[in-house]
Amino acid sequence: MAATRTSSRARDIFATLEYGPAPESHACALAWLDTQDRCLGPYVSGKWLKPDDRSSVPCQDPITGESVARCLQAQPEDVAEAVEAARAELEDWSRLPGARRAQHLTRLAKSIQKHQRLLWTLESLVTGRAVREVRDREVPLAQQLLQYSAVQAHNQEEALAGWEPMGVIGLILPPTFSFLEMMWRVCPALAVGCTVVVLAPPASPTPLLLAQLAGELGTFPGLLHVLCGPASLWSVLASQPGVQKVAFCGAVEEGRTLRRTLAGGGAELGLALGAESLLLLTEAADLDSAVEGVVDAAWSDRSLGGLRLLIQESVWDDAMRRLQARMGQLRVGPGLDGAVDMGARGAAAWDLAQRYVREAQSQGAQVFQAETVRSTSPFFPPTLVSDLPPASPVSQAEVPWPLVVASPFRTAKEALAVANGTPRGGSASVWSERLGHALELGHGLRVGTVWINAHGLRDPAVPAGGCKESGSSWIGGPDGLWEFLRPSGSPARQPCLCGNLSYEAFGLAASPAIPAGPEAGPSAPYGLLVGGRFQAPGSRSSRPVHDSSGGLQGYVAEGGAKDIRGAVEAAQQAAPGWARQVPGARAALLWALAAALERRESVLVSGLERHGVNPATAKAELQLSARRLRLWGARVQAQGHSLQVAEMRGPVLRLREPLGVLAIVCPDGWPLLAFVSLLAPALAHGNTVVLVPSGACPIPALEVCQDMASLLPAGVVNVVTGDRDHLTRCLALHQDIQALWYFGSAQGSQFVEWASAGNLKPVWVNRGHQRAWDQEAEGAGPELGLWAARTKALWLPMGD
Amino acid sequence: MSAHNRGTELDLSCISKIQVNQPAVLRRAQQLQALRSVKKEWQAAWLLKAVTFIDLTTLSGDDTSCNVQRLCYKAKYPIREDLLKALDVHDKGITTAAVCVYPARVCDAVKALKAAGCTIPVASVATGFPAGQTHLKTRLEEIRLAVEDGATEIDVVINRTLVLTGQWEALYHEIREFRKACGEAHLKTILATGELGCLTNVYKASMIAMMAGSDFIKTSTGKETVNATFPVAIVMLRAIRDFFWKTGNKVGFKPAGGIRSAKDSLTWLSLVKEELGDEWLTPELFRIGASTLLSDIERQIYHHVTGRYAAYHDLPMS
Repeated sequence: MAATRTSSRARDIFATLEYGPAPESHACALAWLDTQDRCLGPYVSGKWLKPDDRSSVPCQDPITGESVARCLQAQPEDVAEAVEAARAELEDWSRLPGARRAQHLTRLAKSIQKHQRLLWTLESLVTGRAVREVRDREVPLAQQLLQYSAVQAHNQEEALAGWEPMGVIGLILPPTFSFLEMMWRVCPALAVGCTVVVLAPPASPTPLLLAQLAGELGTFPGLLHVLCGPASLWSVLASQPGVQKVAFCGAVEEGRTLRRTLAGGGAELGLALGAESLLLLTEAADLDSAVEGVVDAAWSDRSLGGLRLLIQESVWDDAMRRLQARMGQLRVGPGLDGAVDMGARGAAAWDLAQRYVREAQSQGAQVFQAETVRSTSPFFPPTLVSDLPPASPVSQAEVPWPLVVASPFRTAKEALAVANGTPRGGSASVWSERLGHALELGHGLRVGTVWINAHGLRDPAVPAGGCKESGSSWIGGPDGLWEFLRPSGSPARQPCLCGNLSYEAFGLAASPAIPAGPEAGPSAPYGLLVGGRFQAPGSRSSRPVHDSSGGLQGYVAEGGAKDIRGAVEAAQQAAPGWARQVPGARAALLWALAAALERRESVLVSGLERHGVNPATAKAELQLSARRLRLWGARVQAQGHSLQVAEMRGPVLRLREPLGVLAIVCPDGWPLLAFVSLLAPALAHGNTVVLVPSGACPIPALEVCQDMASLLPAGVVNVVTGDRDHLTRCLALHQDIQALWYFGSAQGSQFVEWASAGNLKPVWVNRGHQRAWDQEAEGAGPELGLWAARTKALWLPMGD
Repeated sequence: MSAHNRGTELDLSCISKIQVNQPAVLRRAQQLQALRSVKKEWQAAWLLKAVTFIDLTTLSGDDTSCNVQRLCYKAKYPIREDLLKALDVHDKGITTAAVCVYPARVCDAVKALKAAGCTIPVASVATGFPAGQTHLKTRLEEIRLAVEDGATEIDVVINRTLVLTGQWEALYHEIREFRKACGEAHLKTILATGELGCLTNVYKASMIAMMAGSDFIKTSTGKETVNATFPVAIVMLRAIRDFFWKTGNKVGFKPAGGIRSAKDSLTWLSLVKEELGDEWLTPELFRIGASTLLSDIERQIYHHVTGRYAAYHDLPMS
């Protein structure tokens, strides 16, 4: 009899007091899949497409391996159809008043609220992640995101005047991801007036469900289209006419390849790469709480990647003991069980973790896995790796989920050196009860997000992103909106592909310099400004500069690869000191430079006149240049602000930090104004600069260099003249330059985009377009300020 | 009950460097509440177990021998016999862990329990409960009298003044005195965490109480405005673990005050299971101080067995 069986079981449980299964019913997910006969096509323009001849990929439950549905794989023509529909809808959607868009997003939030059980069970079923995390955290966050985006849309005309939506956005999602990754990007894009085409991995029903919820709101069916398909479709999506931006999140190497493939293409590329996180555990920490931080960071189904854990040597033993004890309490099991911490994420994730563990062991690392935790396939147990030799190849690789790699450090300074010594720059947390100590570490970490005494908090109002190889695109907060905006009136992006551009040969052909006749007029300063003084180029040769009438004006130094190397070194050396200066001090120097510019008026104006600028314009150009210096000096004083969030008490500081060494290749036109307009925001935001001035008319820039050499600290500005293509090549391929602005030819732009894949530096290129440097919007608009610094969100929870 | 915690010498280095981060503990507490859902048979078994952890308590000004007697009877038969039979646990001797009364009612309780023919221990609050603002001499005398009357567990309150003014050494010595006055009776030390100001103080007071030889540390008297909360419990449980790691002595934990629903009691059980492990899930090391909790548990078990929600008159009152 059934009753006897259950009662005797209660008797057993009474003795052992074990946990039982707490399964969440996924009947509604299956029922939803049944509405499509377990076969999901692309969702385009508010309709399910079911083309006949498409191959399909089974969508498996990662726990049982059982196929719950099939997803039809999109073909290029499906992508084209979706983009076309998104373009058509864009006309109406982008012109709608923000308040109307806000209404629509609110309706979508409501719709998600109504179907949340379906959403969380489906997501947990197909990704294998713990349902508790999806239900209690991700679904509410998705609703908050829509709400936040709606508010931003409502305020758009007021708060974001001067900006317009980019257009059709292509979004590419990685194979293992949470549906939130999609929401983080779709919500702001829709809010500001873009329409979105999502290319999801081959078997991913949740994005399709979200598209259906959005499509069934009735109005605007063309806002959101979702297609499942292989990686070969990525470039197809990016090259569709009308796609203005491609947002990609996924693995670093995939991002790199995509960056190279899309160089010169019509769409801007935003990359969010890697998932590793970092935790700094100091001796002044609440150790038990920090251990919970480690759990949040790696052993809950909150995070997508692994964790690098730095522990201060003095508390190493204590912390390791607590960690290992805590690991024994974790529960691994089917994601749909309401009482597990970690589910399973399919064979690929399992293999990745296993490979890492095996390699680490072969190199002498200690690997700890709690015996009490389920570790049979498909489940991978929480794993703690220690004593991994820092020089071993595996310790350079990204730590995969669900691994924690622990290593000791001695001092705060060393912690920063180790933490900043990886190519990754995503998120990190600092655990210390000493306020000054914690803030020092928080400021020193080169990452996009820092939590003090917490890990993994998220809020729609707080920007999250990264630097270095984590990519430089942002989600959340104002930064998340700017990802999908461009200054009003800027031209739509067109491809600038040059089919015959050889990346290997670009900028290599040297132009021999020979004496070109007598120099006319006063001799210009000669040499390269490197490390605060003028010096001769490594090549020991010169290139002639001609005036507008074709006469020889003089010679400038012919800089080359070695000069770039020296200039970058000097700039790197100067960077910490310059970044440490308060904005006020930097502003004072820019103002002094403006005054020096005005003192040099006669020389500069006559220099411009020799290049065919009429006297009145030349004078105006000079005055405007001085004004720009003062403007940026003043503007940068009001940087950063604090945000209020829902999940915790206390502020989140949105800081604007210098990029580091910024390389600028100036346009040929506006030889003085463009040079100053680019230099001023770069310096004001605390960057040090390696700059290539106008090729046709480098003399005015070199004149200004004389003042900079005496006014600015050595190495803050370095100016190298020479063959622009060659110098561009050197700069673009340099790994230790943190960002590059290029204003030159279409070919050069394409090369710069291609070469930036090396260290994934953010690049800003003009794709051969002229800019109106004398106009306020293009010459001194907020766009420049956005490019000149990077955001860091510093979370400061409070309470006692 | 198990052997006493002998305590240790006062070692202030245990508490001098301690850091407790309140927001992080609050987050952990919030997570823990949704961490482990326990369903069906597991829920029934866990609830029965929870019954065996209860210190069934009455601490009112209007207590008389009549309601103390009823309480004792309920302690002996906490769940209706037919429900226990349905779950096949009627032979497990399920009673509450103790009854807890004011010193003046100890005699009543001892007598009632004797009459009922059971060995459930009687716990008495003491030392100027709940405020502790009386002279040390009378506080100690109170303990001795309660022990004489037959109480085998003494719930003492600590002197909050000493905590708030940082007199840890004095606190240690006071609890030491309590320990001596208890003799063979078990010492449960109430920290009155709602009045300690911050979580760091909760940790320090826990540590001092354990070093001074408490067999249990208890969250609150039930008379403060803030009673047993999860963040406070997490800090106390971590202190218990640290003390165990340092000395090998297992000290018990007793949340009290404001624990009324069966669901809450499940959370408390999983909290202890998560932070300290299964070894602590025994009446020797875990108690829940409560008065109305038991009837809610009985209702839940009634529902589990019969599939119906009980009416008020379906279950005997305590």
